[in-house]
Amino acid sequence: MVERFPYGKAPFWLLTLALISSLLLVATRQRAAVDRPDISLATFAVQHYAAYKRVLPEFERLHHVKVGLQLVDARALQTRLQNAMLAHAAVPDVVEIGDGSIGYFTRGPLKDIGFLDLTDRIQEGGYRDRIVASRFSKWESRGRLFAVPHDVHPVMLVYRADLLEAAGLRAEDLDTWDAFAAAGRRVLKDLDGDGVTDRYMIDLPSGGGFGLTVLLLQRGVGLFSKTGEVTFNEPRTVDTIVWYLHQVRGAARIATECGWGQPLAKAMNDGVALFYIAPDWRTNLFQTDVPGLAGKLKIMPLPAWEKGGRRTSTWGGTGLAITKQSPHPELAWELAKFLYFTPSELSKRFASTGVLPPFRDAWQLPEFQAPSAFYSGQRLGAEFARLAPDTPPVWDSPYSATAESKLGEAYLRAAEHFDSHGDDGLREVIQRELGVAEAYVRRIIERNGLGGPRE
Amino acid sequence: MSARVSTPKQYYRGLAPWLLLAPYIAVTCVFTLYPLANAAVLAFYQTNGPASRAFVGIDNFRFLLSDPVFYRALGNTTVFALCSVFIQLPLSLGLSLLLNSGNDRWKSFFRLVLFSPNLVGQIFVGILFGVLFTPRYGLINRFLQALTGWGLEQQWLGDPALVMPAIVLTALWVYVGFNMIYFLAALQSVDKSLEEAARIDGANRFQVFWNVTLPAMRHVVLFVVITSVIGSFQLFELPLALLPTSNGHGPDNAGLTVVGYLYDVGFNAGDLGLGSAVGWVVALIITVVSVLQLRLAGGGEDE
Repeated sequence: MVERFPYGKAPFWLLTLALISSLLLVATRQRAAVDRPDISLATFAVQHYAAYKRVLPEFERLHHVKVGLQLVDARALQTRLQNAMLAHAAVPDVVEIGDGSIGYFTRGPLKDIGFLDLTDRIQEGGYRDRIVASRFSKWESRGRLFAVPHDVHPVMLVYRADLLEAAGLRAEDLDTWDAFAAAGRRVLKDLDGDGVTDRYMIDLPSGGGFGLTVLLLQRGVGLFSKTGEVTFNEPRTVDTIVWYLHQVRGAARIATECGWGQPLAKAMNDGVALFYIAPDWRTNLFQTDVPGLAGKLKIMPLPAWEKGGRRTSTWGGTGLAITKQSPHPELAWELAKFLYFTPSELSKRFASTGVLPPFRDAWQLPEFQAPSAFYSGQRLGAEFARLAPDTPPVWDSPYSATAESKLGEAYLRAAEHFDSHGDDGLREVIQRELGVAEAYVRRIIERNGLGGPRE
Repeated sequence: MSARVSTPKQYYRGLAPWLLLAPYIAVTCVFTLYPLANAAVLAFYQTNGPASRAFVGIDNFRFLLSDPVFYRALGNTTVFALCSVFIQLPLSLGLSLLLNSGNDRWKSFFRLVLFSPNLVGQIFVGILFGVLFTPRYGLINRFLQALTGWGLEQQWLGDPALVMPAIVLTALWVYVGFNMIYFLAALQSVDKSLEEAARIDGANRFQVFWNVTLPAMRHVVLFVVITSVIGSFQLFELPLALLPTSNGHGPDNAGLTVVGYLYDVGFNAGDLGLGSAVGWVVALIITVVSVLQLRLAGGGEDE
């Protein structure tokens, strides 16, 4: 047979191999089709994946369906979802998206957004009043809701209680940022006499980053308003940058940057900084990363900017969206409700992840009131829940990344000025740079000729 | 004039090459030519989200050429490319000269040692150097502190002035060994009798290298310079892994490259039209730079 093939032996075997692999592909696809779940859920968070894996069999039993659960890295999930939507390829029915992702998907006309509009479902289900109000902001565009908030992420301070006591300070006295900064100057210490400070008051990035964002949000300054207007160029931003620069730069600074992961764990163990900015998710990470500090750490609300002011902020967030392409939107909504609005499941998840859900009904359950041995017997759930209603709203925009980057540039220009000239003309430089940053973001927004948040 | 009559066997034999090439041609058309043509068209549109597009003429190019962030990215990339050519390649050449003159037994060992950073991906290298550059606990900071009494708290990746040096240093570790292999191969193919003749004529080691060895390696040097410049203009993963909290931008966009800018506008901001325009501008820059290099090097032809 090979000899009679008109193109010769090699092409015969090449074609045979191609035929066999095609048949194998078809066969495995048919097998995959048999095993295909009725509905698929993709998440990027390992903790969520573990928690969902545990509870999904109950949902499958209740609804007589099979749920396919996928864990995909955050960046990969975002990119694949974008590309799949661009190419009209298959997408998961339900997907968890991270902080800062929704802006991409809500660009353009409302009708083109690839997620189901959940506004009416939330309203009709009576969920709007049972969820922390500020948490809807992140997932809204032009007044419509495209994802259900998974969390609140109120921010507190985690501190080395043992070292604070040794320094003769009391957390209760640090109720304003000015009092905190004044106390911080007394904490600075060169422990080994090598001329390098080994103990600081707080872990804050000198380049702004999360520290500046969290503090600005605490003051109620976000990047955008509900209607998509640029909002960061205002007097409170100037005040915050001036204050921040004095704490993170120069000889009298009270802050150092401890980084992430292992360097942060080592710094915490060494007591390089006494205080660490900690949303709920980070308190849980600390339990894993610095187990040796069990019983030595405590939490406290953020100091206020003025007496009686807001004692918290927010950092991060996840939302659950249902894709428009889903052939089972009702089942997807049932899954969303099961995962996000079932108090008993939420309390179990809080026990394993430390993340406070925005669904208030769950907060009274025992898991949220349990004392934490790691945090010196404090009731983390109750503490975060007490602050949760006061978390500031954060309106996302397709231009959030640009605005964040430009605000960072304005901050760094101010930092350069502060490093060389101190306070002389600092406010004027900040105001000028914020103006430049705002003008750039406006220019980018105005390029949008296709409609979007300001259509 | 009589028509040529071919037998079925001859007919099929004439068709065979085309049939065998068909999968390659189809794949090239679908995955190379079509995207290329589509990108050319897309560069004249503004895209907004997954489904909307509007014709904007040359507005994407106009915006690009007036965007300070693009110039920042272009400047960073150019600095990186210059460092590749004027720091990385001389180092590679120096190492290859050392290895070429060394003991044969150790030659293979050092060749492997110097090449081995290439066996790991850029993402791994970025993560690794991210740890090495960590203030207070990073190996580089500790080393500097022990050596000079300065540098323990230095923010390599947080200080705009130090971000590019950090990226260049990281790239050196990866690519010096890689380019060294090319130079080593070229050195080993240089006609030894020419070098010997130059030595007999009284040339010292530098004169032999400059007047005999280097001209003999000219084609390889030109190839390495051009590929290094092209590679530098395509830099993307390394800053992304080294500066993960700022999406590879670094403070004040000090680590932003042109491909990083392209990714940002195309995939983070969702304007694939502007992203395509960036792609074409970058392709044009690379082409111009490569042609210039070829011209300056005499077209790469033997004299």
